[in-house]
Amino acid sequence: MIEVLIFATLNGLVTGLLLFMLASGLTLIFSMMGVLNFAHASFYMLGAYFAYSISLYLGFWPALIVAPVLVGLLGALIERYGLRRVHKSGHVAELIFTFGLAFLIEEAVQFFWGRATKDYRSPDLLDFPLFTLFGQNFPAYKAFMIFISIAIFIGLYFVLTRTRIGIIIQAAITHPHTVANLGHNVPLIFMAVFGVGTGLAGLAGVIAGPVLTTFPGMAMVLGSIVFVIVVIGGLGSLAGALVASLLIGLLQSYAIASDVGMPDLLAWLGISFERDHPLNDIWRLTLPQVAPILPYLLLVLVLIFRPSGLFGKRES
Amino acid sequence: MSILQLQGLHKQFGNTPIIRDVSLKIAAGEKHAIIGPNGAGKSTLFHLITGRHTVSSGSILFKGQPIHNRPPYEIARLGLARSFQVTNIFPLLSVFENIRCALLWSQGYKYSFWHLLGKAKALNTRTEELLVEIGLQERRNLPAGELAYAEQRALELGIAIASGAEMILLDEPVAGMSHSEAKNAVELINRVTAGKTLVMVEHDMNIVFDMADKITVLVYGEIIASDVPSKIRGNAKVQEAYLGEVVEEHSHA
Amino acid sequence: MLKYVSWALFAVALIVLPQIFTSILSVSILNQMCIAIVFALSYNMLLGQGGMLSFGHAVYFGLGGFMAVHALLAIENEQMMFSVTLIPLVGGLFGLCAALFIGSFSTHKAGTVFAMISLGVGELIAASSLILVSFFGGEAGVSGDRTYGPPFLGFDFAQNIEVYYLAAAWLFLATVCMYLFTQTPAGRMANAVRDNPERAEFIGYSARRVRFISFIFSGFFAGIAGGLFALNYEILTEQNLNAVTSGNVLLMAYIGGLGFFIGPIVGAIVLTLINSVLSNYTDLWLLYLGLMFVLTVMFLPRGLTGFLMMHRTPWHLGKLHLLAKPYAVTAVPGSIFVFSMVCIVEMSHSNEPTFNVFGFALDPSSFLSWGALIIIACLAFIALRRTLPSLRDAWDTANAIDTKPGVRP
Repeated sequence: MIEVLIFATLNGLVTGLLLFMLASGLTLIFSMMGVLNFAHASFYMLGAYFAYSISLYLGFWPALIVAPVLVGLLGALIERYGLRRVHKSGHVAELIFTFGLAFLIEEAVQFFWGRATKDYRSPDLLDFPLFTLFGQNFPAYKAFMIFISIAIFIGLYFVLTRTRIGIIIQAAITHPHTVANLGHNVPLIFMAVFGVGTGLAGLAGVIAGPVLTTFPGMAMVLGSIVFVIVVIGGLGSLAGALVASLLIGLLQSYAIASDVGMPDLLAWLGISFERDHPLNDIWRLTLPQVAPILPYLLLVLVLIFRPSGLFGKRES
Repeated sequence: MSILQLQGLHKQFGNTPIIRDVSLKIAAGEKHAIIGPNGAGKSTLFHLITGRHTVSSGSILFKGQPIHNRPPYEIARLGLARSFQVTNIFPLLSVFENIRCALLWSQGYKYSFWHLLGKAKALNTRTEELLVEIGLQERRNLPAGELAYAEQRALELGIAIASGAEMILLDEPVAGMSHSEAKNAVELINRVTAGKTLVMVEHDMNIVFDMADKITVLVYGEIIASDVPSKIRGNAKVQEAYLGEVVEEHSHA
Repeated sequence: MLKYVSWALFAVALIVLPQIFTSILSVSILNQMCIAIVFALSYNMLLGQGGMLSFGHAVYFGLGGFMAVHALLAIENEQMMFSVTLIPLVGGLFGLCAALFIGSFSTHKAGTVFAMISLGVGELIAASSLILVSFFGGEAGVSGDRTYGPPFLGFDFAQNIEVYYLAAAWLFLATVCMYLFTQTPAGRMANAVRDNPERAEFIGYSARRVRFISFIFSGFFAGIAGGLFALNYEILTEQNLNAVTSGNVLLMAYIGGLGFFIGPIVGAIVLTLINSVLSNYTDLWLLYLGLMFVLTVMFLPRGLTGFLMMHRTPWHLGKLHLLAKPYAVTAVPGSIFVFSMVCIVEMSHSNEPTFNVFGFALDPSSFLSWGALIIIACLAFIALRRTLPSLRDAWDTANAIDTKPGVRP
């Protein structure tokens, strides 16, 4: 029992921190530009594919640096030549644009890399169990993922609170017009933030690719979950995004690892049911089965009862 | 008999009080102006009365009914209409549709999906009349967002008066207009609000002193005077706080 | 008057089309179009008319469809006895019920919050559909048979063409109803709330209630489309209510043009054609579709219908002919550019030893064929850019109101 709990916690932490890497970029972009970037997870996917291709020639470590930079540059270009054009038509048009972008990137990935799963592996250097507990291994690569995620979080925190650009960004989050009036080049800041945000997503893709498999559907799998996180955390709140990421990561991890379900609950309540009851499907549900829908359930509940999210201050 | 009554009204945003203990009675049929320096809380007061903001404490009675903290649409249905300082119209709908929408509720259509607008004779006639009244009949088919500024202000006013509300709140109706445009707008306001209760926020003292039966001076969220124009002009407190230079200018002009 | 003529033309087109395109394939495409049009129109009630961007509209389509299949099964098992012509109504009513429930909390806000709730609900229901096997049938879905019901005027709907006429009748009815809705106070206030929800509240309308009304009607008509789908294919699976279907209807409505009643109709027709015709020629059609969508959002925010409607002013001014030549001049390098790009994309994707273009056999492994295509594409692009200024001038001239006859301002 205890080993299940420990490993579920560790795995939840890995997933949660990974989700936070995506969610932080998404939150930054949303706070600055008011755009919920639907294609955010697509940049994550691009990160994994770029890293895969680079690692074929140069190995994992150069890819770790180069792939996110490439993704970030691509993101900045898309902001400059695509999103900015749509900006004047309003937020709904921007959301639709990024939706189309997500669609397009998925097709483009299939065009360049094909539909099959890519054999993108973690580096040999980290291919050993970090420790063994109750006969179960914890791979060093997962520890590396945790390390990178935390390093990014600290770095982001430092940049946002201690540097000049971070202070401008923070100001722009709360008072975009004032910042523009103070003479800062807001379009340039937008482009930079979009580039950095998508670059962070790319980095998440680079490190997640080997663990979560690199295939054209990987953006879809994570995309809506990341959306769920930024909305649950409260649009525009970095702290909220962190809490929600860990919450979702742990929730799913525990749910999958658990071995309980409605039958146990019913047995515990002393209720028996017939095999061909019309609601049989519901009575037989187990927690691992419903794990994939828990985030969405949480999202809908949060939006109904607290539309501004857990940490959100403003409703948009 | 007062149509609108504010009692001990308070409003604060966070810890910042914006409206402090405002009590005011406005008589039916009165033309009432609210003046005061920028940031005095004039627009906030309007927002409180019309339901856009909730009050922190105190009460607002309209025709004897409490209306504070009720949603704007319920207040509007009682016969209290308003215009906005920043033009607030339906930009993609035509001028005609803007006015017609503003008429719908008062004509009893509610949320009907079983009436056809094209067949609603009385509604359409009234819309046309209103378009003539506000002088926009030539522009009737243009999307409202494409009107010139002064025309949008006229439409703004048209939407406010369309429902035939007994009481109309106008937030800086002539702000940003040229002299001749403002003159036309004042004539229009006088014409369409005849016989109704009018409350307006306005910075142009010429207009305020010409139009108002009564003036309330709001400074830092408090009423420092509320009286007929001649008394306001001579009020020492008002002079000191705000009006001094403006009134002097006005008497020299 | 014009209105009645267009409706009559619409009805005639629906009746005549399968008589012109008689093959089995074309009738099945026409069936798809009927379904897609109803679905896209119902989506436009939300986005185009009500300003509610939904990423989960397939929920109402799918739920309506599943219920319709269960109704077919009930007829088959003789638990219920009614004509299958009413199946779409079953779908519609179930879509309406779902919309009543979901709309009661999701229409509180428009904009991003609404979009997120629709996404969440959509994913939730799509994921649940795989768990709740007795209603949704799991991965395999639920299938039925439309021929068991009592015959309607002697038809038992075994033939596709019979289903087409039934679908066309429902399409006509649904289109008329949705059009009439736009002409009612509730429909008009939906536009007003889309434009400015705040002001709508100050003229006596609760923005939430106005959205809610549009929302449930939209769910109803989406359910009808789902019912038509059930009749046509006799099977529903999880795919019919997942995010892909939701995205598809957004594409149709947007590419067609959100601001116009006929926009989604145009979009549904064009996308169904692309879907069924283009996919026969290339397996990259989704890539082209994605590109087309992104370019539409960037350059034609009012969609294809909006593009056509832009020509109303020159038409009224009697200057439409001034645009013919500049359009032709731009179209030549434009189509060469698009064509050569398509060749490059297709050639890089093909595994065949030769790549045939207009009888020319290009060798994908040779440097020469790549170079030639790339040079043609580049030249065409440069030429295209050169023609744009004169096109813009011609456009301005065609839209300018002449103050004095014969004198150009």
